[in-house]
Amino acid sequence: MARASIVGAGMTKFGVHEATLPELFAEAALPAMDDAGVESDDIDAFYLGNAMGGQTENDTHLAPTLASHIGIAGVPCQRFEDACATSSNAFKHAVQDVESGLHDVVIVGGVERCTPETGLGTGEMTRIFASASHRQYEQPTGLTFPGVFALLTKRHMFEYGTTPEQLASVAVKNHAHGAHNPRAHFGRDIDVSDVLDSPIIADPFHLMDCCPFSDGASAVIVVSDDIADEFDAPVDVTGVGHGTDIIPLSDKPDFPSTMSARRAAEQAYEQADITAADVDFAEVHDCFTGAEVMASEALGLFEDGEGGPAAAEGRTYIDGDMPINPSGGLKAKGHPIGATGTAQLVELVEQLRGDAGDRQIADVETGIAHNLGGDAGTTLVSVLEVRA
Amino acid sequence: MSQIELPESLTYESWSESLKNGTLLGQECADCGHQTAAPKAACVRCGSRDIATIELETTGEVYSETTIAVSPLGFDAGFKLAVVQLGEAKTVGRVSDDVEIGDTVTLSDVFEHEGQPSPVFESVE
Repeated sequence: MARASIVGAGMTKFGVHEATLPELFAEAALPAMDDAGVESDDIDAFYLGNAMGGQTENDTHLAPTLASHIGIAGVPCQRFEDACATSSNAFKHAVQDVESGLHDVVIVGGVERCTPETGLGTGEMTRIFASASHRQYEQPTGLTFPGVFALLTKRHMFEYGTTPEQLASVAVKNHAHGAHNPRAHFGRDIDVSDVLDSPIIADPFHLMDCCPFSDGASAVIVVSDDIADEFDAPVDVTGVGHGTDIIPLSDKPDFPSTMSARRAAEQAYEQADITAADVDFAEVHDCFTGAEVMASEALGLFEDGEGGPAAAEGRTYIDGDMPINPSGGLKAKGHPIGATGTAQLVELVEQLRGDAGDRQIADVETGIAHNLGGDAGTTLVSVLEVRA
Repeated sequence: MSQIELPESLTYESWSESLKNGTLLGQECADCGHQTAAPKAACVRCGSRDIATIELETTGEVYSETTIAVSPLGFDAGFKLAVVQLGEAKTVGRVSDDVEIGDTVTLSDVFEHEGQPSPVFESVE
């Protein structure tokens, strides 16, 4: 049974954008409205994901500003912030509100600029990203986000024998997928040695194990199940799970398990009445190659410890038995923080509609998105299915 | 361990002042026994408010580690961080020499950034 449906989707190319946040958001939101065939008067509410606009561009109270820019001023608006899981959390609330009958048509999206177009360099942006770690017990050490995932991944490597080559194969696959995505930040074929020869950022991660700082926006139109059939090609939302875990990092009992993802997946699968075996493909939060390996296990797509070998064996390619990140993922598509969660949903919608062009996965009916925030302190898992 | 008077309720201020003096304080939950090196208002595992300030062990095992080659603004690059298991608690800190998971390390120094301290560990042969 559907909790809601997505009837429109839009996103900008991810990469470097000079446009302001309102201008950039409009480049995703208006195409999403056009895709759904809704007018501004049809929109009942607006939920926005933007994680860092206050820090990066001195731009806050963004939801009504963006609503005004896209012609929906006056509707209830709210900005959500949950580190990199920001717009998935906004999506969760949109689904709940159409399900409850509060609203019928909601626009949900995200926008963020992280490239030097903001006027900030790598060191400053690295400092801002690190604000998602514990202010008192982690930030004073100089911990970075590549560092957080390096600590998680090193433990995974220790416990399961995951190798740097297996990690690199995740990047190789996602770049190959990104080459078929015209909106991806990067898209070119690379090999394992390209990754292993790139500079170290935080070992075991080389530069090419890490997603880029990107600018971009994405949006979807969420409607209640009751009215979904009035639209062309609705895609059903059958589950949205939301799990959290202990912060700071060092208090987490078990690093490789990423418990927030396991909790979110359990909720989402239960709501959708599916198991991991029913999942045809996944968009997962591959901010670093090790994150994709751990996500693929936490979601139950592979047994614990098998995520690395599965990636190296090519099982996660578009034509593999468990395709992961057909869009190119954060790694190749890019990671404009607040836009990432809804961009994953845009990819699911296009795949489930059969509209993904050169990166279309054959015969898919059920896709999931895994969007992680902070040090795996937050994860949302969404299940989307072809409307029965 | 040093003989110091332990505050009943552990604030960040008393935690950081103690660390600057070479003592790593934490908390132990009276209900579930969980120990933490990052003090809180209630136990992070069971929610109990019956948590006592304790002096943590200062020698433990490396649980995970990495070297930060690209650092945040305000930090020099090329430092090593470890998550160290100290008895039942884990903490993140800097390490002054090359370590691997499973190595034994001991509290050796304090690193301060803008007045905020972090523990520094070194290998034990």
